[in-house]
Amino acid sequence: MISYEFLTSKKIEEALDYLDKFSKVQILAGGTDLLVNIHKESPRLPHFDYLLDISNIPELKFITLVKNFIEIGPLVTHFRLIEEPLIKGNFPILSTAAQTIGSVQIRNRGTIGGNIVNASPAADLLPPLIALKAEVVLTSKKSERILSLEKFLTGPYKTKLQADELLTKIKIPLLGDGYYTDFQKIGRRKALSIARLNLALVTKIDEKGVFHDTRVVPGSATPYPQSFPVTEESVNGKSIFNIDLEEIGEIVSKEMVSITGERWSTPYKKPAIATLIKRALEKIIKEAKTNEN
Amino acid sequence: MKINKITVTFIVNGQEVTLKVGSKERLLDTLREQLQLTGTKEGCSVGECGACTVILDGKAVPSCLILTGQIGGSEVLTIEGLEADGKLDPLQQAFIDYHAVQCGFCTPGMLMSAKALLIHNPHPSREEIRTALEGNLCRCTGYEQIIEAIESVAKNCQ
Ligand SMILES: Cc1cc2nc3c(=O)[nH]c(=O)nc-3n(C[C@H](O)[C@H](O)[C@H](O)COP(=O)(O)OP(=O)(O)OC[C@H]3O[C@@H](n4cnc5c(N)ncnc54)[C@H](O)[C@@H]3O)c2cc1C
Ligand code: FES
Ligand code: FES
Repeated sequence: MISYEFLTSKKIEEALDYLDKFSKVQILAGGTDLLVNIHKESPRLPHFDYLLDISNIPELKFITLVKNFIEIGPLVTHFRLIEEPLIKGNFPILSTAAQTIGSVQIRNRGTIGGNIVNASPAADLLPPLIALKAEVVLTSKKSERILSLEKFLTGPYKTKLQADELLTKIKIPLLGDGYYTDFQKIGRRKALSIARLNLALVTKIDEKGVFHDTRVVPGSATPYPQSFPVTEESVNGKSIFNIDLEEIGEIVSKEMVSITGERWSTPYKKPAIATLIKRALEKIIKEAKTNEN
Repeated sequence: MKINKITVTFIVNGQEVTLKVGSKERLLDTLREQLQLTGTKEGCSVGECGACTVILDGKAVPSCLILTGQIGGSEVLTIEGLEADGKLDPLQQAFIDYHAVQCGFCTPGMLMSAKALLIHNPHPSREEIRTALEGNLCRCTGYEQIIEAIESVAKNCQ
């Protein structure tokens, strides 16, 4: 049986003190991953003696524009990502992804910080955040460090978070002019892993209709979300007027297999991931053409 | 390591309560066992069925995925709080009128999701009603009657 002492704090300082003073502390935010794991006594859950509730720390609930970054507190819920004008206006891809998560009840409790630190291969916010080049700020009593989100993730359900660290901020650089984004998803989180896939696409289209700085990050396609550089390069330099979507679909499928190897799910996932990138590109191309007129 | 008891004060259906709760005690347990508010149901216990839905600070939430120790200072509304002065909430009446209840296990959760929706959006579209109920499963009635019941209340408050 899992048993623990419950700690709660209303201030970052206090939470960092607890993390510094005690060992085997498990952080609790919205609880939509952790309390499920505790209920199921999931083998994925490490042994812990203390549960530190951070869900009532007001300092971790902000969304602000600071210079060229949007900064998001880890306790921002999926609901707020959908509603907040700063997010909808600058990163509609993040609102769209949040909208696909769970149900109203889950979106009201689940947080962006929990989605990141839980690091599920199927987490819906990770692909868009990686594609947006998000950074995470990790704070301990003694120090603070910033890592790119992509580097922070090290495996399925694994991150570089240290035992005494708290994720205190997510920083996303604003996209300049000419950027387009899209998020595509099939299947639900609970669907068999074979039937679930998502994909985030961020790209810049210049006045001539040529793609630049393309970022492609599929979710549930690889052990943990990561960018697909070969696919990205194959889109860059192409034109919205004659890009061969079939070819891009083949490239993204091949790149997935080059990372995962042939698996039992590969015959399904290859056409599915090709379809997702084609849909995303089609949507963006249509948008770009409308803007041109 | 000691397993501590936590003292929490919060408001349930308009009344302030101060309770000692266990470190693993979920809001669902506190409501049903300490406060005898057994209208809130336990289905899946993992956030998927919606039977345990209550309104916390104005929002529909799964009470099976919240520890009571987390909600000090908050305001909880449960199915028992919908009726006022012996009069059913219009949503409750509509569920009866539209035959939106069979075994009734999902009904409290459905009503709390619907109530949370109408608090924020008194005139939801059919699509918005469907979205609000995404997290509430019903094995018996079929969602049509439930949606019609909610729609009728939304129309009446125009
Ligand atoms: C029914 C259901 C459906 C769901 N559907 C989806 C879905 O469609 N897509 C999807 O992506 N997810 C889904 N989820 C998963 C979940 O809602 C998200 O991953 C959520 O964002 C987790 O946030 P939380 O605040 O609830 O995290 P918690 O459960 O509180 O914490 C998760 C992990 O993160 C750690 N943590 C949290 N915050 C911090 C912090 N600030 N610093 C350090 N560590 C921290 C915790 O220690 C824990 O290990 C679903 C969950 C349920 C129950
Ligand atoms: S019992 Fe809480 S959602 Fe099923
Ligand atoms: S009426 Fe039986 S589950 Fe809905």
